[in-house]
Amino acid sequence: MKLKESDDGGILLEEIPPFLFHLLGEISSRAEIKHPRVDARFFPDPSEDSELIEDWKSLVQPELQAIFQSARETVRADLRGASERDGSMSLQIPKPHGDAWLSALNQARLAMVEEAGFGEKDMAAEVPDDLRTPRDAALFQLGFYGFLQECLVRMQGD
Amino acid sequence: MPLLDSPEIAAREYALLDAPWNVVVHNDPVNLMSYVSLIFRRVLGFSREKAEAHMLEVHLKGRSIVWTGPREKAEFFVQQLHGHLLLATIERAPQT
Repeated sequence: MKLKESDDGGILLEEIPPFLFHLLGEISSRAEIKHPRVDARFFPDPSEDSELIEDWKSLVQPELQAIFQSARETVRADLRGASERDGSMSLQIPKPHGDAWLSALNQARLAMVEEAGFGEKDMAAEVPDDLRTPRDAALFQLGFYGFLQECLVRMQGD
Repeated sequence: MPLLDSPEIAAREYALLDAPWNVVVHNDPVNLMSYVSLIFRRVLGFSREKAEAHMLEVHLKGRSIVWTGPREKAEFFVQQLHGHLLLATIERAPQT
């Protein structure tokens, strides 16, 4: 897979192997809240003040939910615009969509870690190339999403 | 009978309302260090150096006070930080 800056300052991913493109296609579904731990991580309490927590749940959380969902929809739309060439895929992430990708990748990584109960040691461990177990596959996917996020941060941050 | 309108009590209540609040960011093992720095720069307007110093404090000490001031603005910053999936809370700043 090749990664380079596009003319508009966005990111162009070229020669994406089918397996990695499949993982990109899973960003949105991985980010869905399927476990109470994920819900708690996406919408943490802002303080110990119960009154503020209640206000937060009714006023702030719906707004956050909409922000997260909008980011996932942007990613899905960009993926629909990917093109195939010689058995691999090309994908353009326009610069204005960079934040949505950062958010969706972060959502997916956070959700996967909470669901699987991974700790720092798991994420720092080397993942075997053959990805024999679902755990290995999930750790590989986490690493791939983290790599993309790092690239986006560098491009957005400079 | 409580002295609800006494100047002393009124002043104390005003001081409580006006007391500064801290915005605290807590460590989590998933958010990338570079991402946390980027969000500090964007949300709080930090320089790159200041953002990295606070990011490292979060990483090494588990938490960092990234802003102190009026409650309403503190809540606003926490909301923005939650929007970027950072673990942030507000707490009353200790009175000096």
